Amino acid sequence: MKKLLSCIMLTFGASQLFAGGFQLNVQSARSLGLGGANTGFSWGTESVFFNPGGMCNLKGHNFTFGGSYIMPLVSLQTPSTDNINQTSPNSTPIHFYYGGEIIENLYAGLSINNQFGSSSSFDDDWEGRFIVQNISLKTFTFQPTVAYKIHDYISIGAGFMYTTGNFAIEKAVPVGSTEFDYGKAKLSGKGTTYGFNVGIFSTLLDNDHYRITFGASYRSGQTLSLKSGQAEFSDIPVSLQGTFPTSTAFTGELKLPSVITTGISAQYKINDKNKLTLVYDFNYTGWSSYDTLAFDFDNTDTPDSKTTKAWKNTPTHRFGLEYALNDMFFFRLGGYYDITPIQDGFVSPELPDQTQFVPTFGFGMMIKDHVGFDIAWIHQDAERESDLTDAGFTAKYHRVADVITFSATIKF
Amino acid sequence: MKNSHYLFIATIIAGSVSCRKTEFAEVERTNGEADFTHYIAVGNSLTQGYQDGGVFEEGQENSYPAIIARQMNLVQNDMDDFEQPMLNANGSGYMHLEYINGEIEVISPGDTLGTPTEEDASWADWGTSMKSIKYNNLGISGITLMQCVALNDEEMIVNNGILGGFSLQIPPFIDYEVPGNPFARFMDFGGNPHMLIGGTPIQYIDHIRNSEATFFTSWLGDNDVLGYATSGGIPTEIDGTLLGLGVIQYGNLSDPVAFRQKYDSVLTAFSSIGAQGVCATIPDVTVIPYFNTFTVAGIKEDYGYADVWIEEGDGNGGVVQTRVATDEDLILLTASDDIEAGAGSSETNPLTNGRVLDKNEVIACQNRTIEFNNAIKASAASFGYPVVDMYDFLDRIKPGIMLEGIGISPEYIGGGAFSLDGVHLNPRGYAIAANEFIKVINEHYGSNIPLAQIGSYRGVIFP
Repeated sequence: MKKLLSCIMLTFGASQLFAGGFQLNVQSARSLGLGGANTGFSWGTESVFFNPGGMCNLKGHNFTFGGSYIMPLVSLQTPSTDNINQTSPNSTPIHFYYGGEIIENLYAGLSINNQFGSSSSFDDDWEGRFIVQNISLKTFTFQPTVAYKIHDYISIGAGFMYTTGNFAIEKAVPVGSTEFDYGKAKLSGKGTTYGFNVGIFSTLLDNDHYRITFGASYRSGQTLSLKSGQAEFSDIPVSLQGTFPTSTAFTGELKLPSVITTGISAQYKINDKNKLTLVYDFNYTGWSSYDTLAFDFDNTDTPDSKTTKAWKNTPTHRFGLEYALNDMFFFRLGGYYDITPIQDGFVSPELPDQTQFVPTFGFGMMIKDHVGFDIAWIHQDAERESDLTDAGFTAKYHRVADVITFSATIKF
Repeated sequence: MKNSHYLFIATIIAGSVSCRKTEFAEVERTNGEADFTHYIAVGNSLTQGYQDGGVFEEGQENSYPAIIARQMNLVQNDMDDFEQPMLNANGSGYMHLEYINGEIEVISPGDTLGTPTEEDASWADWGTSMKSIKYNNLGISGITLMQCVALNDEEMIVNNGILGGFSLQIPPFIDYEVPGNPFARFMDFGGNPHMLIGGTPIQYIDHIRNSEATFFTSWLGDNDVLGYATSGGIPTEIDGTLLGLGVIQYGNLSDPVAFRQKYDSVLTAFSSIGAQGVCATIPDVTVIPYFNTFTVAGIKEDYGYADVWIEEGDGNGGVVQTRVATDEDLILLTASDDIEAGAGSSETNPLTNGRVLDKNEVIACQNRTIEFNNAIKASAASFGYPVVDMYDFLDRIKPGIMLEGIGISPEYIGGGAFSLDGVHLNPRGYAIAANEFIKVINEHYGSNIPLAQIGSYRGVIFP
């Protein structure tokens, strides 16, 4: 037989791009030691990010900068392979905050941090290579902020978020030739987006023994438009290079979720220098905005790709206990209970997210009220067995991640 | 004291390291209740590893029984080697794709276009020295269940003529050189008392009885529908008058009553030697690419016909009428050249009976498939053997599914699992089929044979 009628269409589901709550909740060592809570109290510069309304208790000019070292380990077991390890690199998100009083009752701040990110790698020829080989997302958010103290008991703040994002994914394409067992696809793109961050902070009670404060903040969702992404295909059979060209542009959108948080803190002043504080935050993250992920390729023959994510809005509970010794040493213990947005059937190998309770530990010291150091450590350990129905992939996952976060603060 | 101090530190370090361990322990592999010591596969072309219109070395290495055996070995490494009657290199010759003038072309052996993959020089003599070897893979391309065991003398002669080394094509009916079925030449079918050479026939079922199987897979029965379907509903006729047999017709839809009887015979043969095993149902042949690549709507669109004209058969080789085709009529993949030459464009130039499986023939095939599958299920149940529902499986992949991130559908070439002949699977398709068997074996016999990775078996090779 000769001429073929059927034009060859192959599915290119650039499937699950970023799974697993790719929000990085490691924005301050102080906060992380307390389970990541930081909305209902206002002791530090990081309020610029956590709750702009909470900046108004800062005195002088305050700078905080720091970073985290995230060490993930992920292993998979599939019906055909006993053990597959991710080869993911460790990552180092950073944070920088400034806050200070400009004129009476008016405060200005700046926050620069990596709020979203995830990066996963596997051996190129691993079993799930047609789903993902390497993937990375990194966002930088710059947020100039103002806050106004209405009176001693209530203050409000608002910030403008400008976010840049970079992402790349590499995966195998299931077309073989005599030369290559499969083709390769690499998509990379960057984009920018805007949003806002507003918060309100209130001191409900402040006397010689007790201080109770309350805060609420809302960070808007952001749509990261990848306007001129580059898709590169290689090791493609000659006859299919019209479908999978060496290079073509694509557009896509990545939706970063909104986060609404309410928090409360209760402090017991043992004496002038020693305090015990209990904090609690409730986050509600609007992951459902992340309903689909679509890529449209400029090249007409390249099949566009659409993936249903069907994520759910999810709550996170964060709480912590801090003991301040002599206003100089701070011992922190906390934890958070994080409910995964990813339903069964949508769990992807690059970040097998799982509902889990994570304990957190932290320590801080403050030298003469001018220089401070904080360090926190968290240890995540979760297993999950689920399939990724869209890709026909089932695995049992075991993920352990240790995060060490360090922040330094200078006040003058 | 000091030692205990170090021990304490070592314990702390060990403890913190173990917290960082995510690796899964190796799964304890077990054959469960099953004994895979001597695994025998019976079946037809699918079992022999036929693909791309031929049997050849690479295809045989990736036959589904070879894949199952490879995986079985991981739970029972003392099992016997899985021996197959191997062909050299290109074997009987096969189809491949070439990219010519911006078109993907299918190049078959003997084509004038491109560089065909012709049969290997050793193909002509293949099998002659193999007849005394007891292979594990007893798959024979083209074999029907009807040919596995004869219910009477006439059937015995016909089966022997078709499978054995003697052609019934007359004249000359004593032609030792032309086998009835070239793919059966590795097996000894004895003699034929009606031929000059005489002798006692050996049947396929005798080979099952002597197979020493401890475990078997049986995927017989496809050709009891498929042969009829791929010929467009035209049976084959042999003139057996010189043998006193009159005109012998085969390639019809097999009789369901005889089908059940013969399936029972096959399972009796296995159970009598104490073999465990698993049976598979037969897929709806009308789902395969061979019948769905040229559609009536597609031909109209691509060739600008107002209507597509076909000959409607009577299901027995005759033509009832010439009429306009509907979407319920299936055009065969082999109609390609005829369509190129304008067939089907008018009432005076219709697609011939043998190029079309018309509506009535489609329904006949589908109904008969269901009857056969009911027979397979009932027969297997009566012997306590589990069933792999391949009918159901093909039905599930019909709209297209994803496996390991790879799109799989019954589409020709693009679908990823069928080979270029549009009927048989490619290595990736066979790995998928092997996994369906493995799942049922594991479930029924309490083994945990790991599934084959379908991504590591090739799909279509594009030029």
